[in-house]
Amino acid sequence: MEEKAKLSVETEDGDRATILIVTGRVDGSSVGILESAVQEQINAGKKTLVFDFKDLSYISSAGLRALLIAARLTQKEGGKALFCALADHISEIFEISGFNEILEIHDTRANALGAL
Amino acid sequence: MSKSPTQVLVVDDEEDLELLVRQKFRRRIRDGDLKFLFAHNGKEALEVLQEHPDVYLVLSDINMPVMDGLTLLSQLADSDKDVQAVIVSAYGDMKNIRTAMNRGAFDFLTKPIDFNDLEATIEKGLKHVQALQAALETRDRLVAVKQELEMARDVQMSFRPKEIPNSKTHDIKGIILPAREVGGDLYDFFYIDESRIGLVIADVSGKGVPAALFTTVTRALLRASSSKDYSTPGECLTIVNELLCENNPSCIFITLFFGVLDLRNGELHYSNAGHNLPRLLRADSRVEVVPKTNNVVLGIQPGHTYNNGQVQLRPDDTLFLYTDGITEAENLQDEEFTETRLDQSLAELAGVSSERVATKIVDVVRDFAGDAPQSDDITCVVTRFRPGAS
Repeated sequence: MEEKAKLSVETEDGDRATILIVTGRVDGSSVGILESAVQEQINAGKKTLVFDFKDLSYISSAGLRALLIAARLTQKEGGKALFCALADHISEIFEISGFNEILEIHDTRANALGAL
Repeated sequence: MSKSPTQVLVVDDEEDLELLVRQKFRRRIRDGDLKFLFAHNGKEALEVLQEHPDVYLVLSDINMPVMDGLTLLSQLADSDKDVQAVIVSAYGDMKNIRTAMNRGAFDFLTKPIDFNDLEATIEKGLKHVQALQAALETRDRLVAVKQELEMARDVQMSFRPKEIPNSKTHDIKGIILPAREVGGDLYDFFYIDESRIGLVIADVSGKGVPAALFTTVTRALLRASSSKDYSTPGECLTIVNELLCENNPSCIFITLFFGVLDLRNGELHYSNAGHNLPRLLRADSRVEVVPKTNNVVLGIQPGHTYNNGQVQLRPDDTLFLYTDGITEAENLQDEEFTETRLDQSLAELAGVSSERVATKIVDVVRDFAGDAPQSDDITCVVTRFRPGAS
């Protein structure tokens, strides 16, 4: 496979939350990377996850579903999932799909952490 | 994974091979590590194999009464069993050994039998059998999965609406170009009563069999909810959403646009559950966006009340519903088709038949994508409103 990695997920452990920095495209073929990153955090007992989307260039419906599942999984553990720093065109996807009403979204990472 | 095979059938009319095996392998037999079955000629061997379908390795002598080892080999080759045979022959009996190998024997041993060689050959044979079994299992699983996917696609495709004949007041054309993998796009259209027509386009999250089932269920629910006591599109979606949410542990969701066009006056009432915003191609080539109704996708938010919107179609206006398989179609340079290109293409198709608009847009998208693989279903539903046309 010569294809360049189109999605990467980096994590930073903070005091109150784990930050997941999602870079690239989340679509049907790459969503597994995001799903396993989330599962890894949940398995490690991390139940408050902040998704930093400043470098997210695209998200498909399969990707949105993964976010929904992340929100459900963290809730089940008594924590939650927050999403921040969405670019305009990503914001638009959230608005059209109505996900801005289902998921907790903040303008910046600082605001997201402040809301905890 | 298949259980590793441990059983070996030893075929010899004389006792010496059986004795050697029983004695030399007694510890491994006792430990259950290896299990031996015995037969005294080819015919008996076939009977034993019939009774024990889980035996895949045979160790056979050549010269035996009733049925010799070479005949046994031929019979095994002709049967549909995947049995591997190791032939035992006198040292120097190269002619028979060659024949045996040509008839598909896996290996051979020469008499007098060297125990270490025997053990190594049995180990090797069992490993070979195991690898074969694993490969067969994988192949069978792949075939099953492939058949399952093909069935899912057939079911999904069989649910496309019957063409509605062009009438004096409208013409409608739906096209779906399925991606290679069974996808989750859906379109539908149906009469709600004699003057109103329901228009549906939807896209389910994910692909494969679960997605196909989810779209099929959604289509049925939507038709059912629109047939009796129909009031507004939003109310139908509220009901459908409630039913979809009831049992959806895997968080599958569906974006769906449901419009109801009144053929008497051109009013389009609609509710949009998180789907791409449809386009309204005016008779004068302007392309307008059908405004959002601020709703959530279907299937994940129980209790949500779906809002309605309304736009007015005038004669020779065309409503264009589509899925992101169109706007996100990629070419080999990883560029997307985009809404901008869609709007530009639509603007050149004002006033023409719905069939022409649908086929033209699909052609333009395919030309744009070129040789890039199609990763998502490409779907659109086109409706031209033309009251008073003759």
